[in-house]
Amino acid sequence: MITRIGMGMGIATLLATQLCAQDSRQQITMPFRDPSMPRKLIVEGGTGSLTIRGYQGQDAIIEYTGREIPPANNRTNRAGRNEPPAGMHRIGESRGLDITEESNTVRVNNQSLFGGNGRDMVIQVPAQTSVNVKTMFGGNMTIENITGDIEAENFNGQVTINNASGSVVAHSMNGKILVSLDRVTPDKSMSFSTFNGDVDVTLPADTKARFKMRTDFGEIYTDFDVKMEANAAPVVEEVKDKNGKSRRRVRVDGTQSGTINGGGPEMQFTTFNGRILIHKK
Amino acid sequence: MNCEQAKTQMLGENQGDDFAAHLASCDMCRSEASRIGALWQSLDLLPLDEPGGQVRERFYEMLGAYRQGMASAEPRKTRQLGQWGWQIAAAAALIAVGLALGYVVRGNGQPPAEVSQLREEVANMRQLVALSLMQQQSASERLKGVSWSYQVEPSDTEVLNALVTTVNHDPNVNVRLAAVDALRPFTGSPATHLAARNAVVQALPKETAPIVQVALIDFLAELKERNAAPELRRLVSDPDIDSGVRKRAEWALERMQ
Repeated sequence: MITRIGMGMGIATLLATQLCAQDSRQQITMPFRDPSMPRKLIVEGGTGSLTIRGYQGQDAIIEYTGREIPPANNRTNRAGRNEPPAGMHRIGESRGLDITEESNTVRVNNQSLFGGNGRDMVIQVPAQTSVNVKTMFGGNMTIENITGDIEAENFNGQVTINNASGSVVAHSMNGKILVSLDRVTPDKSMSFSTFNGDVDVTLPADTKARFKMRTDFGEIYTDFDVKMEANAAPVVEEVKDKNGKSRRRVRVDGTQSGTINGGGPEMQFTTFNGRILIHKK
Repeated sequence: MNCEQAKTQMLGENQGDDFAAHLASCDMCRSEASRIGALWQSLDLLPLDEPGGQVRERFYEMLGAYRQGMASAEPRKTRQLGQWGWQIAAAAALIAVGLALGYVVRGNGQPPAEVSQLREEVANMRQLVALSLMQQQSASERLKGVSWSYQVEPSDTEVLNALVTTVNHDPNVNVRLAAVDALRPFTGSPATHLAARNAVVQALPKETAPIVQVALIDFLAELKERNAAPELRRLVSDPDIDSGVRKRAEWALERMQ
């Protein structure tokens, strides 16, 4: 069964606990159906900043602020659609936000791409919830106090993950990746990548892992005792060319590998323009 | 003759009159002798284990596999060391004959068959683990599936296909990135290198994440894959593409010259 809150449909008022029209700040509570089962939060889209925070409760609490558009920008909007009529103010959002719950997965679909107004959103979920967030046009993304599997993908902003326990797979195209894990689930593969920015990850001192690190224009720093593998050695391959002639090729892979605490599941750190920093907690 | 002496003769072939006389007089020895006689008879009834078609087949299979292996793995060396090659082949054939004889002598070829079966099962299991992990919902599990793929034989087309699907369709950037790297061993295997190369060529136009685009471009440059040149030129001249990616594509084109 699906619970659906469509902002344009008026059902929202049934579950919305607060509606503060003055600062256009809204809060919606969506319960996870079965507190005994694993929970998952999926967030897609969004144009503002996004914070996901674990708390000691049972429901997902979604709070968001519609950013007012600066008057200068407003004029460029066609037909002045975003201008409030004289003496009135806008409440809520007209479209683009869809919140559903199905089999203990709360999904927040935030497709306000065209209004030109970013929503800053804070979502609180029970601390033990797996989180999967993907935004294309959003700002910074912060995830904290979560115990579970975290998947986070951002386009232009930084991805910050604090006080996490479990596993993390994070990517930003143009932002820094800043992750701090209190505990890692053994035997989970992780990956941290950005195109433009530092990858800065803090792991518990006793983490067992095999690091695979690659930066094209940056350096790698760590205070872990990393046993580097002799993988910088060129690889000799036997290849056949189009004429069926066989020849040898020497390849130097830019990826560095090494193990900490005797090795374990793979952890990949990748950046094109940036440094890789791996801290010991 | 007493019972003790009779028992020593019981298993022999030349049982004299004394023995017969003793049997006539001793119930215990008579029943013992008839028991042994029955055993011999039933042993005679057992069909003689013929070598049969299986052994023959297995031998030629082995020889064929060896020849194929020699031909595909080291074509140059085989040619250079032609004589050696034949000597090695002859030695291998002798070993195979020995093994085949072993099968015959033992009645059946259980132990070696079990070993190869076990090896096959391990390979199947690795393949299964890699394939099923790559299907998982969690990106962490899919990453694990990708790293498992390093443990299968690079000739495993099923795992290669799963990796190619991951490279092209996985919703997670990091998983796609890992899968691109995992294609490398497959480009070194005669059975799969063409499919793997094509996969890299075809993945580039579909990819939108710059970090994965760069990984694919590096890979293509490394393979000197000329078929990718049109797509690389398109990337170089597309102003919407990240400048870092465009520079990399330019560099790759130069390297392919």
